[in-house]
Amino acid sequence: MSDRSNAGQSYWRRILGQTFLRWGARLGLAWVAVLALVGVFAPFLASSFPLLLSQQGQLSSPVLEYLQPVDALFLIGFLTLLLLMPWRFSLGRKLLLFLLTLGGGALLVYNTLSPPKLVIYEQYRVAEAQGAFDWVIHAPVPYSPKDYQRDRGDTGLEAPLSQDRRTHWFGTEQNGADVLSRMIHASRIALGIGFVATGISMVIGVIIGGLMGYFSGVVDILGMRLVEIFEAVPTLFLLLTFVAFFGRSLYIMMVIIGITSWPGFARYVRAEFLRLRKQDFVQAAEAAGLPLGSILFRHMLPNGMGPVLVAASFGVASAILAEATLSFLGLGLVDDPSWGEMLNQAVQSSRFNWWMAAFPGGAIFFTVFAYNLIGESLRDAIDPYLSKSN
Amino acid sequence: MLLAVQHLQTWFRHRDQPIRAVDGVSFEIERGETFCLVGESGSGKSITALSIMRLLPAYSVERLSGDIRFQAADESPRDLLSLSESEMRQVRGGRIAMIFQEPMSSLNPVFTIGEQILEAVRLHFPELSEQEAWERVMQALRDVQLPDPDTRVHSYPHQLSGGQRQRVMIAMAMACEPDLLIADEPTTALDVTVQREILRLMLALQQRTGMAILFITHDFGVVSEIADRVGVMQRGKLVESGPTQQIIQRPEHPYTRQLIAALPENLARREAHDVKPESAQPLIRLSRLEIHFPVRKGLFRRVVDQVRAVDGVDLEITRGEILALVGESGSGKTTLGRGILRLTEPTAGAVAFDDTDITRLDRSDLRRFRRNMQIIFQDPISSLNPRLSIAAILTEPMKMHGIGADRDERLSIARELLKQVQMDEESLWRYPHEFSGGQRQRIGIARALSLDPAFIVCDEITSALDVSVQAEILKMLLELRRQRGLTLLFITHNIGVVEYVSDRTAVMYQGRIVEQGRTEDIVNRPQHDYTRKLIAAVPRIDFQSPA
Repeated sequence: MSDRSNAGQSYWRRILGQTFLRWGARLGLAWVAVLALVGVFAPFLASSFPLLLSQQGQLSSPVLEYLQPVDALFLIGFLTLLLLMPWRFSLGRKLLLFLLTLGGGALLVYNTLSPPKLVIYEQYRVAEAQGAFDWVIHAPVPYSPKDYQRDRGDTGLEAPLSQDRRTHWFGTEQNGADVLSRMIHASRIALGIGFVATGISMVIGVIIGGLMGYFSGVVDILGMRLVEIFEAVPTLFLLLTFVAFFGRSLYIMMVIIGITSWPGFARYVRAEFLRLRKQDFVQAAEAAGLPLGSILFRHMLPNGMGPVLVAASFGVASAILAEATLSFLGLGLVDDPSWGEMLNQAVQSSRFNWWMAAFPGGAIFFTVFAYNLIGESLRDAIDPYLSKSN
Repeated sequence: MLLAVQHLQTWFRHRDQPIRAVDGVSFEIERGETFCLVGESGSGKSITALSIMRLLPAYSVERLSGDIRFQAADESPRDLLSLSESEMRQVRGGRIAMIFQEPMSSLNPVFTIGEQILEAVRLHFPELSEQEAWERVMQALRDVQLPDPDTRVHSYPHQLSGGQRQRVMIAMAMACEPDLLIADEPTTALDVTVQREILRLMLALQQRTGMAILFITHDFGVVSEIADRVGVMQRGKLVESGPTQQIIQRPEHPYTRQLIAALPENLARREAHDVKPESAQPLIRLSRLEIHFPVRKGLFRRVVDQVRAVDGVDLEITRGEILALVGESGSGKTTLGRGILRLTEPTAGAVAFDDTDITRLDRSDLRRFRRNMQIIFQDPISSLNPRLSIAAILTEPMKMHGIGADRDERLSIARELLKQVQMDEESLWRYPHEFSGGQRQRIGIARALSLDPAFIVCDEITSALDVSVQAEILKMLLELRRQRGLTLLFITHNIGVVEYVSDRTAVMYQGRIVEQGRTEDIVNRPQHDYTRKLIAAVPRIDFQSPA
């Protein structure tokens, strides 16, 4: 049924438009966008180092001096995305450009930036109290995630806003670090692990599934056995084993979650390709003598991506949960904060400190919920039987 | 008067304005007569039937009004629209039965056909004993002449052929002795020979039981075979109704005239119909072409049998001619068409294009060779990639084959092609979902022409289209072949189209060509038994006989 209102729009514009017509998806997207912004600008939102200060007329920015290469890389990625957005490229080319700048940025950043090895969080706080600066602009949350505020004596397990002298919106944990600051920095891990792990499994799944679906026959039989083998592997226990052998690393976690969750994608892509192979427009492409690459990637893949994207948004949610589970069990990262690890801290304390459970738990809940909402709406938008004319 | 429909209106909910699917339709059906509703897709003929049965989902209907007065054998007339849902259930199946187009999806696949008919019988005749009810089921199956009913009654729907399933559906409808049978395109999915048998069966049953039939169809051939009276629908309105002969021979309403003029039988005959092409050299020559599909079974997928879809075909197509390939479903005609293009790999035999044996080309040679031969498909929905703009669909093949120096030149070629298929050049920047079926089919033709091929396989290209659109497409195709000197293999099951369009005809049956020759000879003087049966089964419209 042709419709005047969406004349001249490509399929994906239409689908995304329909997806984000639903309020659930809008809420979900809004939450993910807030998390992404918070994650990118974490060092400027929550840091013990002043954003800007003046010492005897001399301007300096301690935050920039102490900027870690990772922080800079996040900023570069964000800026590239922002710059690429308005350009009229195809989606694939944009993705390629983004990955290239990210790679180049990583090389540049790790070779040039060398922040001081020794970090003393309280030095600026102490100096300011002694009146060494003319004026100081602090970050909105003036505590770094690992700033245990030793200069202030015992600050552990303070309830939110219980102290008059210093504000901790979300309270502090048992070592005395600010909970809000830790949560802000942990949002990066949550987003990063979700996207990277799902990205890895999507790439593997699409390639293997596509080959199975297009060539079928022997390739299909072998591929399906491989899928079944990987489906039989319990991800959590494999993760536990790897942590035991190789120590705790975020990257190993991403890779393992990625290479154990591709079979779902492969199944979807295979089914789509088997269906598409019989479609007349694929036959027409073949009859026109188009090369295999064009048939596979231009004519078949975009038509089969719908279910994959739906699965991906659920996949991101489950990857975040897997990391949280692992951290909760005490097998996550050693020192860096993550939401799961913060929940673990809440449990270990002798008495129940509600702020240490409620905030990270709520963050995990809302993030997983947001991705599920997006996935749900995407599925409804793609399903032709549910698409409504009104 | 059995059924009197007065000013029926069925409106569906839609954004701000309701869709008036049926808008003020009135007609009457007498006991024992056959009333046909004809119209093109979207004219509201099926919705009229569903409104009478009150089978439309309540949430999508904005308005269902009018008066449907139905008088069963020994009852007083009732307005069906004011009956309660439980009273309506008594009418449905019991007094008014309905059969649908697709006999596979209207039978439940997990029950045997006997169980399904028995259920309907027990529902409407609860007083019958087990023995009597079963006897009634068997009688119904015998009435519809299902072969070997004693064993078939225990079969599942998938074990029957399409024609047999439609017989079972009719048996199920007839088992409750309805006063009115509503048949919604019951023979559209069937082959002509099967269609003929089903139509005859319905008429025979009608004569014996005296039921009335409301028959919905788009096919004027079927109308003239069975209808006593006809109603023509257009955009939700009944534009004309009257006795069949009168409507077909002296249509009053301009729309009816236009519909009847668009029938392939009525399109102006081409004067150049039997002009022999100057060169006797065949462009395509098939020799002993075989295409088999292996049937695999078991753990190791051993080949246990071969389906011989194309079983030794010898065929020559002369340059510049249109060869029609006719046959019923499963005869292998589509497989043959794809085999010639090597979209399906031939098992044995040779396909010669001029002097090149296509079956011997390797992958990259074949890819280059493909610009000489193209294909147009049946289904206008699936034949265009929904993710690509029309510009991309038309120019990508050109780019691959090095036609046009740059993008601008290719785009201007694409514009020219769209003009040739009578489409707006603005269409270039739009996507397939914005076009109607007929427009998509035009784009499909433009895509085939974009490589400037010498030979095109047209695989049932008009069978999904309405007659008026079909007429336009056929005229356009003939014009294109005149301009470009195209050679066409025209695969179809519609004899009317064959007569209009083709120079020669080949008849295919069970993977073999049983007869071929000039179209006039095949249609008027068929030699082979199967061709005779096929031609005789085609419903013919009687334009001449006196009213």
